[in-house]
Amino acid sequence: MSEHLDFNSNSENINQKKQFRSRLLIAYLFTLILFIILIVRMTHLQWLEYERYQGLAEGNRISIETLPPTRGKIFDRNHLLLADNQPVYTLKLIREKMDNIEAATLAIQVILDNIDPKRVHDFFQTFKQKNRSKSYELPFTLSEEQAAQFAVISHKHPGVTLSARLKRTYPYGATAVHALGYVGRINQKELKKLDKKAYRGTDIIGKSGVEKYYEDTLHGFPGIQQIETNVRGRVLRKLETLPAIPGKDIHLTLDIKLQQFAESLLKDMRGSIVALNPQNGEILAFVSMPTFDPNLFVDGINQTSYNALLHNPNRPFINRAINGRYPPGSTIKPFVALGAIENNIISPNKKIYDPGFLLYKDHRYRDWKRTGHGLVDMNKAIVESCDTYFYELSLDMGIDTIHDALAPFGFGSRTGIDIQGESRGILPSQEWKRETKGKSWFRGETIISSIGQGYNLATPLQLAKATAILANRGRVIQPHLVRSHKTEALKQIEIKKISNWEEVINSMKNVMHSKKGTAYTHARHLPFKMAGKTGTAQVFSLNAGDYDADAIHEKLRDHSLFVGFAPVNDPKIAVAVIAENAGSGSKTAAPIGVKLIEEYMKTLYPKTKQSVSPHEN
Amino acid sequence: MKIELPQTQKIYRKNKGILDVLHIDGWLLLGILLLLATSVAVIYSASGGDQAVMMRQVSRIGAALVILIIFAQIPPNILYIFTPWLFLLGILTLISVLLFGEVGKGAQRWLDLGFVRFQPSELMKLVLPVTIAWLFAHSKFPPSFRRLLLGAVLVAFTGSLIVVQPDLGTSLLIGLSGLSVLFFAGLPWKVILGSFLAIVFSAPIAWHFMHDYQKQRVLTFLNPESDPLGSGYHIIQSKIAIGSGGLDGKGYMGSTQAHLEFLPESTTDFIFSVLAEEFGLIGVIALLVLYSLVIARGLYIASQAQDNFTRLIAASFMMTLFVYIFVNIGMVSGLLPVVGLPLPLISYGGSSLITLMISFGILMSIHTHKKLLTE
Repeated sequence: MSEHLDFNSNSENINQKKQFRSRLLIAYLFTLILFIILIVRMTHLQWLEYERYQGLAEGNRISIETLPPTRGKIFDRNHLLLADNQPVYTLKLIREKMDNIEAATLAIQVILDNIDPKRVHDFFQTFKQKNRSKSYELPFTLSEEQAAQFAVISHKHPGVTLSARLKRTYPYGATAVHALGYVGRINQKELKKLDKKAYRGTDIIGKSGVEKYYEDTLHGFPGIQQIETNVRGRVLRKLETLPAIPGKDIHLTLDIKLQQFAESLLKDMRGSIVALNPQNGEILAFVSMPTFDPNLFVDGINQTSYNALLHNPNRPFINRAINGRYPPGSTIKPFVALGAIENNIISPNKKIYDPGFLLYKDHRYRDWKRTGHGLVDMNKAIVESCDTYFYELSLDMGIDTIHDALAPFGFGSRTGIDIQGESRGILPSQEWKRETKGKSWFRGETIISSIGQGYNLATPLQLAKATAILANRGRVIQPHLVRSHKTEALKQIEIKKISNWEEVINSMKNVMHSKKGTAYTHARHLPFKMAGKTGTAQVFSLNAGDYDADAIHEKLRDHSLFVGFAPVNDPKIAVAVIAENAGSGSKTAAPIGVKLIEEYMKTLYPKTKQSVSPHEN
Repeated sequence: MKIELPQTQKIYRKNKGILDVLHIDGWLLLGILLLLATSVAVIYSASGGDQAVMMRQVSRIGAALVILIIFAQIPPNILYIFTPWLFLLGILTLISVLLFGEVGKGAQRWLDLGFVRFQPSELMKLVLPVTIAWLFAHSKFPPSFRRLLLGAVLVAFTGSLIVVQPDLGTSLLIGLSGLSVLFFAGLPWKVILGSFLAIVFSAPIAWHFMHDYQKQRVLTFLNPESDPLGSGYHIIQSKIAIGSGGLDGKGYMGSTQAHLEFLPESTTDFIFSVLAEEFGLIGVIALLVLYSLVIARGLYIASQAQDNFTRLIAASFMMTLFVYIFVNIGMVSGLLPVVGLPLPLISYGGSSLITLMISFGILMSIHTHKKLLTE
């Protein structure tokens, strides 16, 4: 730098400076000329044409108003309305036109007798600070009666106008809220991300579930309307209009009647049920209990109700169907068994002796039946849910073989369902443990993995999907909630011997229909044949003594699980049921699963597909 | 250097005030402060008396003034050393906007750094002319043809990165700021005239090859009034606002066009219309005179600068300022096509304000650091 800071030291530099200064002068003259052009333009507008524009400004009656789009409705598979738009009343206020804000505040406080007067007062406090010529909406809605009351006195309060708009309502209330989701007011974070043009005149947005995932489809695009007003701003006439493009309606795969029935089965419990059509992945019921009423959120939920929901020990906000990660317990056994026989680890007929435990490295891995099951082949191991058989099997397979056999069924990976925030679950392997825990695998961990304990975690949706794929004899499906959802190209799990699959499925049938089966008592009356598997997942390992459910704190009790499908040879429905801390699978989850399948096969399925009668095996 | 320091300090302690200690040019600062005061007053009126909006702008102005003072402390030779790196950084951020900036819908020119959202093309408004000036710092005027060509290529490259965002308006304006450096460096008149004619003659040829829908878009761009529901509506309402202001205006807070919400974007791009409506032709002329004086002071600083680098920077910053003023006022008064562009120092918003204050800071640094060294 110092090198060229040679201040005017030679004549050449002076020459250059001269040349530069002449350019500066030219540039400045150029700016002056253009400024003069601007002044000429302004003189033209403000002096010569002043009268014309003055007249136009006084008679300026054409204003532009945004027409917000109507949000698409949501229906169930039988065209029953799940999310609707209902007209509601509210007040719009323009400070400039109001002559007595105090009087208006008082009048509104009197009419809105269901709202704390302090909240109305608070609104007006901030309103007074805001743009005095803009229209602001009162953040409370008026009932029809309240609207009528205001209409009577409205002439006393210029600047306050009654307006009607559409409000999202959910006719079925708390039913299916975890699938449907809900809308709420746009918050700061969302405001930054969204397309401002598309959301002119709209203050709600999908917050969760289908309402969020399909926001772009449901929202639509606003239109524009020219309105002619008189000098006082009253609307005289509507002129040119560019209509809003309404959001598109959406049809869910859910059957709301089945959903209601499923929710009633889990009433007063914590848990989840997912039922889907194994042939195409359409989700028929998507239950997470307890639920909550989405209608509370549409106009902004008040703090007390929100805190009550948020701090409810049963955690209604958690979407258990996709975010509840449970040890799959014995429901994993059919998949492990299939992996073993497909990989020629064991023959289905080979019998293993179960003394009630497996001794490995001085540690007794106990069977749930302390006296043991005696000689056990694969069928008996699944039907009676023998643990020792699978302990033995797992040592021959090794964790990575189990992992590779179960991964194609979707364990440990997201199902790709069309709502956001799905959990992955865990399907452990040696590599998984090295990467996440930085430790090497112990064979003892393989033993407990084989009965779905240890690191294994799966969501109810994953269990339902895996069951559906098994029911399909390996044809992979993608679970989805919206009928038009495009699924990826479906794959087929490689089958080494189809008889292996039939063998496992037959054992699952025997769980339901043979006298020794863990779910026999619940399924024997069925007019059709189904397949299933119960599971009891340990939440807490007891040090000693017998399992005495009543003596243990409720939240430490076992989870009750069930997976199943029907009919066996032409599956129409696959389900996964999880009842948290509800004891053994055969006691709680199995009867729920059976009742749900029965309801669907008996009444709902024939109704939706009248041409086909339920298959019986 | 260390030994001489007490001496220089003594010199300015003796006969200089606080402004010199802070490297501030008093005349320039006075002009800027007058414009900023106008800004606060008009924003308050244009927002319909929204105190929150006004206070937000006041705090931005405070921050921007601090930035001006900080940049006035940085001697031009430090800027010189960092110029190539700043240019590299600018180009890299422009590329990363293309790669990662497309978060939302539509054209996304912002880069979200977590704590601050930032528009790289805004940075480039300053960095590009500084880089071209850096390129010519050691050349005599006019620089060799190869150097001029290299400068032109850098301008075209930067411009094309912004065009694909897509942001044609900003790209053209940034291109102009780079080209102004070429002009001040002594680009031969032959070349200037030649390129001008080339553009004039190539336009009809380009027109010939355009699709019908492209022609339609160009026509709406050039004549927005043909689209009365879209941008034409804005221009019609803006002209009504300006025209109805008359000679002496409707008085402060008297803009019916803004208050009845006929005028869109009344605190940002169309704030000039509110000023013209409330203060009339007299107010408009006063504003233009004020702008012209600020530019004159800036060009004077350029004429007093002692090396090519600082000369070119100062001159081109002032031309950039001028172009923004002219394009904004030309747009709202229906002389020029609609490009979303704020009125320098007056419009509501932070990005453009900060860029401007940085450029004024650099200008003051150029002027005051020179004095210190010569004494």
